[in-house]
Amino acid sequence: MGAAETDGVSYERLIAVARAADASLTRRRFLQVGGLSVVALSALGPWLAAEAAPPVLVLPQAKGLVLADPTKCVGCRRCELACTEFNDGKAAPSMARIKIARNMNFGPRGAFLGREGQGTWGNGLVVQDVCRQCADAACAAACPVQAISAKSPANARVVDETKCVGCRTCVSACPFRMMAFDEEIGRATKCTLCDGTPKCVDACPAAALRYVAWREISGTSGLGPRPVERRDA
Amino acid sequence: MATVGGWAGKVLRVDLSTGRTRTDDTIERYRDVIGGTGLGYAVLWDEVAAGTRPYDAGNKVIFGVGPLAGTGAPCNGRTAITTLWPTCWPTPLVGTGHMGGQFAAELKYAGYDGLVIEGKADRPVWLSISDDRVEILDAHEFWGQGIRRTAVEISQRLGAEAAVAAIGQAGENLVPLSVVMTGYSHSAGGVGSVLGGKNLKAIGVRGTGRLRIAGSTAEWERVVKRHLSLLGANNQHVVPDSPQPWAEFYDPGSRWKAAPGRQWGAASVPVDTGSCDPKDLNRIAYRTNNAVHYLGDIAWKYTVRGNGCTGCPVRCHTMIRVPAAAAKYGIPEMGQNTCGGLNFGRSFFKEFPDGPRGQTAVEACMVGMHLADDLGLWCNYSQLQRDFKKLYYDGTIRTKLSAGEFKGYAWSTYEKGDPAFLFDLLPRLARREGELGLAMGLGTGGLLDRWGLSETEWAADHELQYWKMGHPKHHANEDAGQCGVILNTQYNRDAQCHSHANFTRNGLPLAVQKQIAAEVWGSPDAVDAVQAYTPMNVAKARMAKWSLLRKELHDSMSLCNWMGPWIASPLKERGYRGDDSIESLLYSLVTGDKKSREELDLAAERIFLLHRALTIRDMGTKEMRARHDTIPQWVFKDGAGKPAFSKGTIRMGEADIAIAMDLFYREMGWDTVTGAPTRAAYERAGLAHVAQALGEKGLLP
Amino acid sequence: METHECGAAAPSDTGSRDWDAATNVVAQIVRKLSGAGRFAAVADIREELEGLALLPEAAEEASAALDEILRAALTAHSDLVPVEEGAGEPRFYSSEFMTKAYAGLLLRKAGDRLHLIAETVRENSALYPRPLPLGAFEQPPFSLTRDEILACVRGMAGEKAFRDIAGTRTSAGNDYLYSTAHLEPDHAASLAEWIDVGQYDNP
Repeated sequence: MGAAETDGVSYERLIAVARAADASLTRRRFLQVGGLSVVALSALGPWLAAEAAPPVLVLPQAKGLVLADPTKCVGCRRCELACTEFNDGKAAPSMARIKIARNMNFGPRGAFLGREGQGTWGNGLVVQDVCRQCADAACAAACPVQAISAKSPANARVVDETKCVGCRTCVSACPFRMMAFDEEIGRATKCTLCDGTPKCVDACPAAALRYVAWREISGTSGLGPRPVERRDA
Repeated sequence: MATVGGWAGKVLRVDLSTGRTRTDDTIERYRDVIGGTGLGYAVLWDEVAAGTRPYDAGNKVIFGVGPLAGTGAPCNGRTAITTLWPTCWPTPLVGTGHMGGQFAAELKYAGYDGLVIEGKADRPVWLSISDDRVEILDAHEFWGQGIRRTAVEISQRLGAEAAVAAIGQAGENLVPLSVVMTGYSHSAGGVGSVLGGKNLKAIGVRGTGRLRIAGSTAEWERVVKRHLSLLGANNQHVVPDSPQPWAEFYDPGSRWKAAPGRQWGAASVPVDTGSCDPKDLNRIAYRTNNAVHYLGDIAWKYTVRGNGCTGCPVRCHTMIRVPAAAAKYGIPEMGQNTCGGLNFGRSFFKEFPDGPRGQTAVEACMVGMHLADDLGLWCNYSQLQRDFKKLYYDGTIRTKLSAGEFKGYAWSTYEKGDPAFLFDLLPRLARREGELGLAMGLGTGGLLDRWGLSETEWAADHELQYWKMGHPKHHANEDAGQCGVILNTQYNRDAQCHSHANFTRNGLPLAVQKQIAAEVWGSPDAVDAVQAYTPMNVAKARMAKWSLLRKELHDSMSLCNWMGPWIASPLKERGYRGDDSIESLLYSLVTGDKKSREELDLAAERIFLLHRALTIRDMGTKEMRARHDTIPQWVFKDGAGKPAFSKGTIRMGEADIAIAMDLFYREMGWDTVTGAPTRAAYERAGLAHVAQALGEKGLLP
Repeated sequence: METHECGAAAPSDTGSRDWDAATNVVAQIVRKLSGAGRFAAVADIREELEGLALLPEAAEEASAALDEILRAALTAHSDLVPVEEGAGEPRFYSSEFMTKAYAGLLLRKAGDRLHLIAETVRENSALYPRPLPLGAFEQPPFSLTRDEILACVRGMAGEKAFRDIAGTRTSAGNDYLYSTAHLEPDHAASLAEWIDVGQYDNP
């Protein structure tokens, strides 16, 4: 794999990052390992796994994001149903990767009497919870077996079921509580952007969801992969 | 359950007398009756003896849903609640109430296709279902509270996602005109007091499970999209209410209200409903606005958004925010409901100072929903309000009440059309307080008895819309001539059948309706122009049979009969045809049990035959034609004396209706003299054991 | 400007690429306006093409080009329909986004108001059949004021050409119009009552 083909980031930059983790790493050794995909990087384990510093996980940015408009959500949950029915062959909103039910009745504050909340029992607003496809994905960082990675073509952060051991660390790690868990097979699961044509967006009868191309406006690193500090023990 | 899709697999049985719960295997015991009303009728037939009364411990309440409930099949969120009906008069018989919301789906995700409540608790209880953890819990802190506080407090225990069905004070006090409610605005009429009689305050359900879709994901997605593509607006109205560029037709009476410039004005940021080309499946939720449909254009500025059942894109409930109502009456700003529920408060009043579609009408609706949906009162399809108006204005109420009680009501506010009057009346109905509070809550049958009023007089008065056995008509000849009349004879409460009315009111030109009618029922003569009816024919009998069977099929599968069937669609490129096999497509793919349209219709026939058999058994007669399938006199009259079958009247002819009943019984394979199903009819539907039991009692023709 | 066979691809010939682009732009603008309930006038199309620099600058050449482009667009896109009626500049709509029935309403609207109302009322009385509330004419595409509608109704009274147009008032106090050529008075009256009052009492 040529040095130039590294998801838009120069390998020099990656070397610099990797060196920060392990100063003994040479360029030659780095190239010997192989490609600079995320999976390959994880194979650097013995090199980068430090006595002190944790290994580096690099995720290319997701190509797009599901953008939700709560002013239009009508609380029908067809997005939840599309997610699991059209992907998993079952109606299982409890493992839907877009989440409506938890905000639908009362809003994020939960059940209380009084009209100051959201949802059906409040002001009507339903905030659709969507996966942010975080650049520095906490779920991926937390996974002890590196089962979560960016999957081409959409680069959504995706759980590899063959690697997942069902420990649920990612479920705890996600600050937005967006991980789902398939109890039937004992594996974590999460929004995959349906590889670029999200079923939830297609299913919404109120056009309250859009799939929007990612535009990095933070002015820092552009569309390249960003290093993430591993957070395992 | 490994091989079957859709069904969750178990029916939960709760015995409130013993406190024990157990489960039945759905497929083993109930597959042939599918679920919903089928499950309800089957349990009543097998387990509740003739002569049982609604508040006896021996009565059962069956919350039934079907294999499609909780899936992505469009329009699947209804729960059918079947029991011995308190307002069925003079003999309580089988009846079903329906509620929407999230309950059906949540029950399925918890692992149940139905819930059978048996016996009677010795003190107030509520039922907690959290997946397979089922508990009967003490409800003393909820008893005496309204539905809303109960629902919120149970949600705090089971989780914000829980679905709660509860009765209010009306149900607790055994007011026959009472409901079970779920999800803020979804009521099941008529069954509240049966739960009250069992001391069951509420059922809370939390389900985290899954339902298998037997068919391939690709095929399922295709069929779901096919169904979505055929949907119209609420009640399957398939044309918009005003000319739209994409539309060939329009109908000012259509519930399809969306248009550019018409906005959900009270949303946090106003949302334009816009042009809703039927090919745009991402705009289905904008089509319907029932607040505007009933209250007029004034309601646009109050509309927050649509709401409704799990998985349904139609959103036939409208959420409205009316700050003026909050300021004037001290009620919440937000209200939501549809149809009879929305109009509960308004229907009491003869008129409002600012007309039928002004601000006061809106406020009356807000006050009515706030009170009735918390107290848990039922309107009996607005028969309560019609009876009330008549009895007030003809002076009967004044004569029946003591002077003291009569003075205790602010009648001047009532006559002025002031919604504040509802604060006087509705709580007293829920508490059975005073003669008026007690009598008006009995339902029309009980009211006629108690006040010595004449049913004949009720049946002669067109304005009262009374039909029989204590209940009003529901989509009778005003909607569909003889077909409507036939359907209204068949039930023990107002007929909850919309199959025919959805079609006749869909807004398409008569010529197109006739073409579709020819394809579905064999002749264009199945439908007439409204109020230009022609004599009875076989095609109309077929339409009646189809309407009836599809109603039972929907109520058993969990499909919404307020939306289906789907024989017409908004698609010009399909000639406005829908798909008469959509139920078969959905059922077969979800369950993996391939059933054709005809096979499902046979299942529906089996289900309705159980209803018929129960009615015959519990009435103790096979003389259904003479004693049950009756028709009120107003159907055969016209205020201006116009003859039947002239233009501008809905008047039917007695001889013609006799033919209509003959043809209907023949279509059903029943005996035309008695109107009772024959042994052969039961056997053809796989109900030989039912025929046997009836035969032993001499109840077969 | 060279003329090209419509659709002929000549990668090195910028004129041909503009041609395809131009016909696509024509289709787009016609469809967009149709979706919004309007005919596309030649002026609309010209403005769009000029904005994208797809027309030559010289006025005479531009005119000729526009004619060619329009002809080519109609051939290339079968949903584009020229509006046959009416004098003046040609107009177009897209049958994918506007029905013939709606186009007919727009044409009717361009004429005099009395005929607009009368023809629409006749159409409703014949087709569905049903009377129409006066309020229907306040909605788009009619968008008349209440006063204008009432003036038309008064204008029709006694006129031979509108002899068949009659009215009926419901118990809610709303007026409906119908054509006696297609609906009998009793039928129209009871239908109006049903539409205005009855069906809401029978939800």
